Amino acid sequence: MPASLYPLSPGPSRWKRLRIALFGSRVDGLISIALGAALVAIAFGLLKWTLFQAQWAVIRANSTLFAVGRYPIEQQWRLWLLTALLAAATGLSWGLLRALPRDQPKGQRWPFNDRLAAGVLVALALAVPLWLQLSLGIQLRWWGITALVLVLRWALARRGSEVPRGIQRLLPLLWPGLYLVGMVLISGGLGLIQVAPSQWGGLLLTLVASSFAILICFPLGLVLALGRRSELPMLRWGSVVYIEFIRGAPLITLLFLGQNILGFLLPGGLAPDRVWRAAWVLTFFAAAYVAEALRSGLAAVPRGQLEAAQSLGMSMPQALVQVVLPQALRVALPAVVGQFITLLQDTTLLSLIGLLDLLGTARAVMANPAFLGKSAEVYLVLAVLFWCCCAALGLGSRALETRLNPSNQARSQR
Amino acid sequence: MDSRNPTVMDPILEARGVQKWYPNGYHALRGVDLTVHRGEVVVIMGPSGSGKSTFIRTFNALEDFQQGSITIDGLSINEDTRNIEAIRREVGMVFQQFNLFPHLSVLDNLTLAPVLVRKRPKAQVERQALELLERVGIGEQAHKFPGQLSGGQQQRVAIARSLCMEPRLMLFDEPTSALDPEMVQEVLEVMQELAADGMTMVVVTHEVRFARNVASRVVLMAEGEVVEIAPPEQFFTAPSHPRTQQFLQQIG
Repeated sequence: MPASLYPLSPGPSRWKRLRIALFGSRVDGLISIALGAALVAIAFGLLKWTLFQAQWAVIRANSTLFAVGRYPIEQQWRLWLLTALLAAATGLSWGLLRALPRDQPKGQRWPFNDRLAAGVLVALALAVPLWLQLSLGIQLRWWGITALVLVLRWALARRGSEVPRGIQRLLPLLWPGLYLVGMVLISGGLGLIQVAPSQWGGLLLTLVASSFAILICFPLGLVLALGRRSELPMLRWGSVVYIEFIRGAPLITLLFLGQNILGFLLPGGLAPDRVWRAAWVLTFFAAAYVAEALRSGLAAVPRGQLEAAQSLGMSMPQALVQVVLPQALRVALPAVVGQFITLLQDTTLLSLIGLLDLLGTARAVMANPAFLGKSAEVYLVLAVLFWCCCAALGLGSRALETRLNPSNQARSQR
Repeated sequence: MDSRNPTVMDPILEARGVQKWYPNGYHALRGVDLTVHRGEVVVIMGPSGSGKSTFIRTFNALEDFQQGSITIDGLSINEDTRNIEAIRREVGMVFQQFNLFPHLSVLDNLTLAPVLVRKRPKAQVERQALELLERVGIGEQAHKFPGQLSGGQQQRVAIARSLCMEPRLMLFDEPTSALDPEMVQEVLEVMQELAADGMTMVVVTHEVRFARNVASRVVLMAEGEVVEIAPPEQFFTAPSHPRTQQFLQQIG
């Protein structure tokens, strides 16, 4: 809330409020000092370990393995191309968002202040490749990719409003298109050499499996949620049985079951590859949870909304799409994104069925006698990588929530 | 029988022997008959639990019924979804709780259905919507969101939203019951103007003054049955049925 809106009630200054909160009474003060000291000690210890004691050679030597697993080296240009395309799309979207007159209350802190976001991006792009001691060629590629994002953002932010509206509207379609292109680039086909999923690994496998599951489980969950509220008994009971069955079983058993049962159920050639079996199991698993999250959103929309829509002559599908779902999704969004984040972390279970996702790769690396006893370094990097992915999902969700909030839309139109 | 429109005897709504049981077995409507003629304003009154809201909600199939028949402008309500949607296009409804779409601006609340259901060009609908908002006295709020309006304003938007579909019959289900007292009048005035313009209306309400001044006929419902149908002057001064006398005494 900008302070200028309330010029008549400035209240105590931020510093003073902090002092009251921390040192309001003698006991408060003691607790604050003790906790503060503990925090400083922990931070200092962690910093000392990170900078002086940890041996990062294990990460430096295996950075490619962590990134893409055993993806064939001569085909890795496809992944670089995909990264560059993603960077271009990011830059385009970012720039266009800046150019369009959308209300961005000034003075918002990172990450909504996108100059700071750009600064963090540049700092990371400069520091991480150097720290990883990547070869000069690869360092240059990362810098080029970062530059691509920033240049496109700058160009579009400057001239984006001159882009015809038709093209502006089409730009969001870039992302699903890019996803399909990415799948082709990763797995081959259409003239490219096939790279079997068993050769994918590391972050690549984690991202492919989780993004696939996230994309498919959402519509599936929506159908299940609507089915569970449906008046058709078959549909309702089918949804209930499915959701309760999936929610009653641990994911790991379902993953093992999927690995074995799909092979029996489907004739030889049709059974998907091991990686895809796991990805489908993840999808079906997450769909049940997403369905429950969406159901809570649907329940939050008053019955009168549907009645009003129907009394205006809208058909059931029209009323759902135009009136009920937009409101239900807004309510359910935090829970659904929470589910996505859980799903992303659940991909680590793939390592238990012998797939080389991030965790699986890490375990393989730590089993190498050359890197014995370096598990702290590896796990810390894994934690940071997962945190980055989950934070990105969380930020996206919060931005979407802000946009879907009617009071914000009102502000932009006034 | 009809004091205000003695010459017009063109029925737009005919309900015959409507009976409804709720799934829990409660007998909500016990054979109700009602005929509404074009241009009439019929006010339905009655104690709570008398089935008046249930009855009015059967007219656009928001409630189903098990026996009897309802015909609206020649179309009878049955299981056929397309038939029901056709009826709903011609019958507007205003709810006690307004039921505006909170995620859409006031203007979009009005234009959504005409564009989607009637497939009319957006620009034309928007022009009509702005005129209607002007008519109900909230032209300058078109770009706000429902949550930013007072209850009375929201209810007037709801009326305009129904009118934007150009209905032939308007149903009002206790339109002022959820309003703060000082906002009741502004909504009743809009409804009165609508009646003066010749709109056919069926209104469930407790507003005696509105019934006295605007109604062509007043209906009293009690325990799921129509007890009395009479022109307002007769209804309020010389009711024939003891149940009506009792009701009028209760509302004072």
